[in-house]
Amino acid sequence: MNTLLSLGDNLQTFWGFTGFANAEPGHIIMILVGLLFIFLAIKFEFEPLLLIPIGFGMLIGNIPFDEAANLKVGIYEEGSVLNILYQGVVQGWYPPLIFLGIGAMTDFSALIANPKLILIGAACQFGIFGAYIIALQLGFEPNQAGAIGIIGGADGPTAIFLSSKLAPNLMGAIAVSAYSYMALVPIIQPPFMRLLTTKKERVIHMTPPRVISQTEKILFPIVGLLLTAFLVPSGLPLLGMLFFGNLLKESGVTRRLAETARGPLIDIVTILLGLTVGVSTQATTFLTAQSVKVFIIGALSFIIATIAGILFVKIFNLFLKKENKINPLIGNAGVSAVPDSARISQIIGLEYDPSNYLLMHAMGPNVAGVIGSAVAAGIMLGFLG
Amino acid sequence: MTQAIEKALEIAGIGIIGVFIFMAIFYLLILALDTFLPYKEEVSAEGNSVEVETEDETQN
Repeated sequence: MNTLLSLGDNLQTFWGFTGFANAEPGHIIMILVGLLFIFLAIKFEFEPLLLIPIGFGMLIGNIPFDEAANLKVGIYEEGSVLNILYQGVVQGWYPPLIFLGIGAMTDFSALIANPKLILIGAACQFGIFGAYIIALQLGFEPNQAGAIGIIGGADGPTAIFLSSKLAPNLMGAIAVSAYSYMALVPIIQPPFMRLLTTKKERVIHMTPPRVISQTEKILFPIVGLLLTAFLVPSGLPLLGMLFFGNLLKESGVTRRLAETARGPLIDIVTILLGLTVGVSTQATTFLTAQSVKVFIIGALSFIIATIAGILFVKIFNLFLKKENKINPLIGNAGVSAVPDSARISQIIGLEYDPSNYLLMHAMGPNVAGVIGSAVAAGIMLGFLG
Repeated sequence: MTQAIEKALEIAGIGIIGVFIFMAIFYLLILALDTFLPYKEEVSAEGNSVEVETEDETQN
């Protein structure tokens, strides 16, 4: 009889440790969101390199367990493996390493060949500052509003970097929002591109870019680094690594380092970053009214950035000679989201003129958007950090 | 207009102007690069231009 009672007690203890005993509706909702991310990544190939680690991380982060049992499996439990890996996000180590890889894989030729396109990358940062003001109006603290605004930069690592510094408690919502909307760029941007442009503007053929010398390519990251160091030193962790990576690529003598930066290094960091950001979205900290507001502001910031880029090109065209006019369909590409937003420009452009290839032109504002959002993040950090 | 909104608009204004100044200087520096270091046909170690080399390879 005693043996049976003891067995019953043990089974009850075992049951208390299982997910079934500890599950709450929030856990189930977040597990479903994680499954949705994985589905979108596999079925529609929406940012699969990020959505799969983040989605799987959501599953891990929302496994219901008894926190009082001190199992050391939760990301917020000091000393757990996930907590140690999460330090790379919290302390802001991963985003600069990702920028190193981005620099090593980015060809800035389109931008160097037609440098006026860099201004489109600046115009799209209206999305960041517009969202910042909206977030303040919705009751967020200034530092939180700054971190939320950066979603409009359409750059995941920049969003994570800034939110880790300004609003760590909102980092999960900001990161998930930023990556979700980046994946949804093909759905968000086209209606505004069509709405804000005329048929005549959509068929503008841009002058082919000039040829770039290797010396220019080598000097570009050095000039960029020095400019950042003197003008926006707070942007150095991101932009410094971006330009360093680009110099590794363009110098021609550090091929192995460039290949490591744009290959294994960025892959490893992406896995760690995506997974830990996903795990950090525990239902108790993630399913809040604040997160809902973050998602709404995030969508608005993408829309503002897209509109700002297109309108800027239209205004800019008023001052350009006919042969130098810019097709406003590349205005959207200034929101970064490399290379998806540039691909959208190409796709929409081809719809109206099958001989008008806009991709190489759109890559200019696209990479300028990466620089612009990192500069904006540096400015935000300078003011609010 | 409350003080908080004024401050927000000030930061947003300075921020967007700051981004434009950064990008405008970058734009001028790239123009300067093009002016002082214009593209020249790159020359191989044997003294032939790259284009000529490519043509030779195609012919072979």
